[in-house]
Amino acid sequence: MQTLSAVFTYTLKEHLRRKAWLSAALFGLVLLGGVIIVSALGADERMRLLLDLGLAAIEAITLVSIVFLTVNLILAEIESRAIFLILSHPVRRADYLLGRFLGTVAAVALGMAAMSLMHALLLSLYGWWEPGRYFAALACMFGKTTVMGALSLLLSLALTSEAAAMAFAVFLWMLGHFSSEMRFLADRSGSAFLKTTLVAFSHAAPDFARFNYRDFWHQSAPTADWLIWAAIYTLAYATACLALSVQLFEQQEF
Amino acid sequence: MAVPVEVNQVNAIRFQKVSKIYRRSHLGRTTETPGLVELDLDIAKGEVFGLLGLNGSGKTTAIKLLMGLHLPTKGEIETLGRRVPDVKVLARIGYAPESAYLNKTLTGRESLRLFAALSRIPAEEVERRVTEMFAKVGLDKALDKRLSEYSKGMLQRASLAQALVHDPELVILDEPVTGLDPLAIKEVRLLILWLKANGKTVLFSSHDISEVERVCDRIGILSGGRLVKVMKQDEWRGKPDSLEAAFAAAVVRTDGVGSIRME
Repeated sequence: MQTLSAVFTYTLKEHLRRKAWLSAALFGLVLLGGVIIVSALGADERMRLLLDLGLAAIEAITLVSIVFLTVNLILAEIESRAIFLILSHPVRRADYLLGRFLGTVAAVALGMAAMSLMHALLLSLYGWWEPGRYFAALACMFGKTTVMGALSLLLSLALTSEAAAMAFAVFLWMLGHFSSEMRFLADRSGSAFLKTTLVAFSHAAPDFARFNYRDFWHQSAPTADWLIWAAIYTLAYATACLALSVQLFEQQEF
Repeated sequence: MAVPVEVNQVNAIRFQKVSKIYRRSHLGRTTETPGLVELDLDIAKGEVFGLLGLNGSGKTTAIKLLMGLHLPTKGEIETLGRRVPDVKVLARIGYAPESAYLNKTLTGRESLRLFAALSRIPAEEVERRVTEMFAKVGLDKALDKRLSEYSKGMLQRASLAQALVHDPELVILDEPVTGLDPLAIKEVRLLILWLKANGKTVLFSSHDISEVERVCDRIGILSGGRLVKVMKQDEWRGKPDSLEAAFAAAVVRTDGVGSIRME
């Protein structure tokens, strides 16, 4: 536990000092632009646009941040050889990997919290405040972020190339939005090969339909059951990716 | 400067017929490069042992195998009575690589706190050990500076501090004097002798024959991944240039580099 918390703290500090928080500043600019654009609109449209634009921007910035940071997380340490010193101490590789991953997720979550705070303040200035729905949206984004982080980390260790890992992460992220469509096509397909391929891809890619809070957005907040299943899916998918990452990392030589 | 050999008979390090072959695949073709070939070597507790060799002779490979950063293709390695790789035994080993591969976003204090925590030093002792170690390597005034502001010499000292912060029984230094100024080289030499006087086992690799002969109880000469000669201190003590002559006679260039022509 001492090892895990030491690696976690070191990773969090490293990200903050490497200015991972600049993502929040970028979001501030997006919001500012949004306010200028919506100032010409009517009250209803203004609110909807600010809400959607803000949440979409938080999600996009958070996802880009997590993919970029996790893809570089271990490869950059190998490149700089800082990993030599860490692993020459009594550190289990699994603890190191988990500490690095959790530190990165925490850094991104802090950025997400800063962006959400700005967004929520702006929305409340315009008279909108529905914490239940807003926090449900944030929880879904966080789940998506954790899943993408674990997947990007696995890809970086499997492919050992930052560019290739990033390209595959973006590809799987896109596929993740079409899981149900892939399964539908697999059901309809006559070819056994195509069927197997589609089913395999639909299971390997994360199922982002489980995080689609927008399905509920204009009616009511998602139910507790729906959120619990999203949390279980996040944990299961991230754990599977991390377990495979540990397997790969254990065999790696430096 | 020479130190009398007084080692106990228990091995700190044991290589038994250890080979390491690097395999690289490219476009379906696999090339094999021997990093280390059938290395048999015992280093006793309390001994200062120097590994000498040209670039690519296998010094760093041997050290990385000891640290579990590489896995042997063949053979067995033991450190402090435990078969490598073994995470627990690393708590009793200090390692400083040839360059200070420290994360430069941290301050000296934060960096050493990290390594102290990784070495399982009890939380209440960490701060004292950190301050003591930085004072020991002469960096006490730079403790709260970012490592990115350190000079190369300061980084090497910080790297030595992380290797010693947990008071290890076995200290492994990979080319500790490479790139250092003469004063710093002298300090590293004194540090090695201080470690020996405190009962530590020291294994270090170097190109610098004059440094090695001043501090080592024994040396091993590696060439092309093979241990071609082992010498005891009394074979070179009081015999100027004998170690250099033995080295020149034992090694063969394997990196494809020819001699510098004088005509």
